[in-house]
Amino acid sequence: MRPNNLLFCTLLLGTIILSSCDPYRKRHHVDPKPNPPAEVDGWAPVYNKDSSAAIIKSSDPRTIDKGGKIYIKGDTLYQVEVGKGIHVIDVKQPANPQKLAFINVLGAQEMAIKDNVMYTNNLNDLVVLDISNVKDIKLLDRISSVFHMVDQNFPPGTGYYECVDRSKGTVVGWEQKTLNYPQCSR
Amino acid sequence: MKKLFYLIISGAVLFASCDKTDTSSGNKTTSTSNTGQGGSLARFTTAMDYLYVVDDSKLYTYSMANTAHPQLKGTIDVGFSIETIYSYKDKLFIGSSTAMYVYSLTDPAHPDKLGQAQHVRACDPVVANDSLAYVTVRSGSRCGGTNNALMVYDVKYIMQPLLRTTVNMESPWGLGMKDNRLYVCNGANGLNVYDISNPIQPKLLKQLAGNTFYDVIIIDNLMVAMIEGGTALYELKTNDEISLAAKITN
Repeated sequence: MRPNNLLFCTLLLGTIILSSCDPYRKRHHVDPKPNPPAEVDGWAPVYNKDSSAAIIKSSDPRTIDKGGKIYIKGDTLYQVEVGKGIHVIDVKQPANPQKLAFINVLGAQEMAIKDNVMYTNNLNDLVVLDISNVKDIKLLDRISSVFHMVDQNFPPGTGYYECVDRSKGTVVGWEQKTLNYPQCSR
Repeated sequence: MKKLFYLIISGAVLFASCDKTDTSSGNKTTSTSNTGQGGSLARFTTAMDYLYVVDDSKLYTYSMANTAHPQLKGTIDVGFSIETIYSYKDKLFIGSSTAMYVYSLTDPAHPDKLGQAQHVRACDPVVANDSLAYVTVRSGSRCGGTNNALMVYDVKYIMQPLLRTTVNMESPWGLGMKDNRLYVCNGANGLNVYDISNPIQPKLLKQLAGNTFYDVIIIDNLMVAMIEGGTALYELKTNDEISLAAKITN
C-alpha cells in the first residue's frame, strides 16, 4: 500500500499547490465580513422571473430605465437596456429623436452591427438578428454558451454585494446600489 | 437617484486623427466595412469582416463572411480581468485591470499575440493615434487605484508605453475625439473638453454641466452621450459651442 499512499500524497500536495496559485479561485473567493455596515455602496443582482429567457422579439418602444452601452449606425442610435434588451432610436433629426422599437434580449450588454444584422449577447449566448425591420426582428442564429458575459454568482467588482437568491429568478445583470447590512462581499 | 447598472467600466476606442479617410472622429478598423460605431466601453468589436468578443478571460474570433451565420474561428486565453477590446488598423488592443495585450491581425482569423504592456491600468478608456493613447483612470472602480486622471501615454513602442502627462479630473469615464478636441466624460461632474492641438498637453477649454456623463460617440457634428438615465444628443458647433439637441431619458 505504500506506493498508493505515496501517490495519494503526491496528488494531494499537487492539488494544494495548484489550487493555491489558481487566480480564478482567488478572484472568486468570498470573504465573509463579520459586521456588515448598516449602509454601504455595493452591488445587487438583477433578476428575471420570466422563464422565457431565450425568446427574442421586437416590441413597442419602452421607457429607458437602466440605459447601458450605446452604438450608432447610420442615423440610428441603439442603447442597451441593461439585462433586458436594446432600444432603437432614429436620430436623423437630433432635436427630435424618435424611438422606433425595443428589441427584447435577456441579459443583453453588448452589441455590434454589420449591414442589417445585429450581434448581441442573450445572457451567455451569441445571437444573430436580422434587423431589416426593427419592429419585427428575426433570430438568424444562436451560438450557445460560448462566452462568459454575465456572471450569475458574483458581481463585476469587489466590495459588498447582495447575496444571490436563486428563488428570485435568473441573474441577468448587476446594478450598483446602496445596500443595508449586506451579507456577502468579495 | 437612479443608480447605474453594471457597466463594463473600461474599454477603448482608437481614433486616428491623422488619417485622411477619417471624416470626423472614429477611425476604428471597422470603418472600411458596413458596420457601426460603439462607444469606448465595449467588449464586442468588428474589424476586417471579423467579430471579436472578449469575456473576462478569453478572446473569441468569429468570421462574418456569412453575415447571418458567424463562424467561430478560434478562442484564445488572454489573461484575467479582461475589460475591453478595440481595434486599430491591423491590431487588437485588449484592456485588463493590470495590462494591455496587443494582438496582430495580419491574419484576422487568427489573432497573434505581439506582447503585452504591464503595469498599465488599461481597463479604462483609451483614445489614441499612432503615437499617443489617452487613458482615464478612476478611483473606486474595479481598476482600483487612487487616482482620478486623464493620462497621456506615448505608445510609439507599444510594449513600453511611457507616461507623458497626467491631468487630474474628478471622475473620468469614456472619451471621444474630434479633430484637435478631446471630450472626456467626468461622471456627475459633467463633460470636459480639452484642446489637444499639442496632443501631449491637453488644455481644458470648457466644462459642460447638466448631465452625468459616462461615454460619448462623435459622428461628424453629432455627439451622442450616454448619460445617467439614457442618452443625450449634442450638436458640436464652431467656436467650441456645444448645444443640447435632445435628451432621451424616458
